Amino acid sequence: MSTDMDNASRRSLAALLVGRRTVFLLGTLAFAVWPLAFNPYLAYAANLALIYILLAVGLNFIIGFAGQLVFANGALMGIGAYCTGLLMYDGGWPFWLALPAGAVLSCIIGLLVALPALRLQGLYLALGTVAFAQFALWVFIHWEGLTYGNAGFVLPPISFEAIGLGKDLGLYYLSLALVLVFVLIAYRISRSRVGRAFIAVRESEVAAEALAIDLTVYKTIAYGVSALYAGLAGGLFTALLGVVVPESFNLFQIVLQFAMVIIGGLGSIAGAIIGAVALISLQELLRGFQEVQEIAFGALLLATLLFFPGGIAAALKRWVPGWTETHHQDGGGRS
Amino acid sequence: MSRLETRGLCLSFGGIRALDGVDLSVEAGEIRGIIGPNGAGKTTLLNAICGLTPPSEGVVLLDGEPVSGLKPSAIAARGIGRTFQTSMLFGGMTVLENVMTGLHQHMSANVFTAALGLPSVRREDTDAREKALAALDFVNMRQFAERDGAALSFGQQRLVEIARALISEPTVLLLDEPAVGLSPPRVQELDLLLRRIRDERGITIVMIEHVIRLVMGVCDRITVLNSGAKIAEGTGDEIIENREVQEAYLGKAIDAAD
Repeated sequence: MSTDMDNASRRSLAALLVGRRTVFLLGTLAFAVWPLAFNPYLAYAANLALIYILLAVGLNFIIGFAGQLVFANGALMGIGAYCTGLLMYDGGWPFWLALPAGAVLSCIIGLLVALPALRLQGLYLALGTVAFAQFALWVFIHWEGLTYGNAGFVLPPISFEAIGLGKDLGLYYLSLALVLVFVLIAYRISRSRVGRAFIAVRESEVAAEALAIDLTVYKTIAYGVSALYAGLAGGLFTALLGVVVPESFNLFQIVLQFAMVIIGGLGSIAGAIIGAVALISLQELLRGFQEVQEIAFGALLLATLLFFPGGIAAALKRWVPGWTETHHQDGGGRS
Repeated sequence: MSRLETRGLCLSFGGIRALDGVDLSVEAGEIRGIIGPNGAGKTTLLNAICGLTPPSEGVVLLDGEPVSGLKPSAIAARGIGRTFQTSMLFGGMTVLENVMTGLHQHMSANVFTAALGLPSVRREDTDAREKALAALDFVNMRQFAERDGAALSFGQQRLVEIARALISEPTVLLLDEPAVGLSPPRVQELDLLLRRIRDERGITIVMIEHVIRLVMGVCDRITVLNSGAKIAEGTGDEIIENREVQEAYLGKAIDAAD
């Protein structure tokens, strides 16, 4: 009994020192001082990482929590990006209005995608949503009257003068604030009745239904939440790049986001965050070797699926004392 | 009026008639056993009752109200709980969270209130945690609350599943072979637990079971299925004496006379 107690107190001490809370605090601190300490290029890279944290945490809702193999998020990010961009470029809207509008439109389209997709499962769902992604890309390229086609368009300047910051720093700290808020929201949802319903749907639809969990309702919510994150990130992405072009939202975008969530560990919010930061770092290190990039990501994704199906989150759970995270899908079937 | 009633349930898979006009009438507070040889349609009957595979003909009535035709989640919400033959504990959740999931229909948090982290959501979750611990206490599994469900033995997982079903406060609980894989002392404990579920919770139980000692000991009445049809119904003693039941299990007796 007493050794149990000792173990428990040692674990809670370890949790205090290296637990998730501490890691998050340090991570936030690092991101907060980063652009002040390093050159503009590194600040840009960190901003990109923040945007991909939103994308990965959002994608994790649908593929990690609700367990639906959906490939629509690259396109939904594009819809958020185009909506925000076009509202500013053609509509003359200010960024602070165009950004949430893009997120909301993306969320609505995500819910519309859910309608037919709810009837599909597994491979058919994957194929159906890849088709949606290709269709969206086709629209971005060919509906020139709306999207300005392959050449895209350049965003009007964004001003953060109201909070006394330049465009780069302003956008950086806006991204950081949104990441903090939306990661907190993700944790709150995942720990709630809604999060438990997602996991039930992922683990066994039959058992979930026997507990009065409506599959249609909870899958639809997962689509909507996931799309909202993607749309919001798309708007920030547009603002960061300053241009909107269709090729940003092609197949590679899908692979990149999937790699983040899977390498991080399906069903783990912390994993998605770490996966996003790791892969953006890798992408920036390999900048200038476009082909190597794609091969490296593909290989990493494959290696994770084959050898570490639990991803980084599983490693954290195993090796870091006091690291607990519920809902994580620990590499299908192993015990 | 019966608590649970089926009238003329029929269901075919391809050319096979899995259920062939099954009438069932279970009184409130009863423990009903469903037995029959493999392939008799026992699990199919439970699936038809809880809506997983809706019957092609016939109706299911809960307290006189038809529930057949509703979605399985809606039937569960009306008060028909269920456990399965194979363990269906949710992976990636602790035992406690698994049981808390059973409270789904009695909680009200939605994606917006959860995202905002409203105090009411937090209070509701604290309540749920306590109720789930009490439910684990009821099946004597409280000490495993923080464990990973997959780390439990088969029999322990079964008990957690029962706790998860109980916490949703069903009026009727359908159990699909709860004793499979249990050692004799564990079967004895299950016998006791089933009686407590009925006596303390007032829940009516319909149970498929092959462990004859359990069925004979705990069930008020037993229904025997063969080839999708009901061939006998009665108390344990009546069923043992029933000629048709003996034939279904053992084949026709060769007449020794002549």
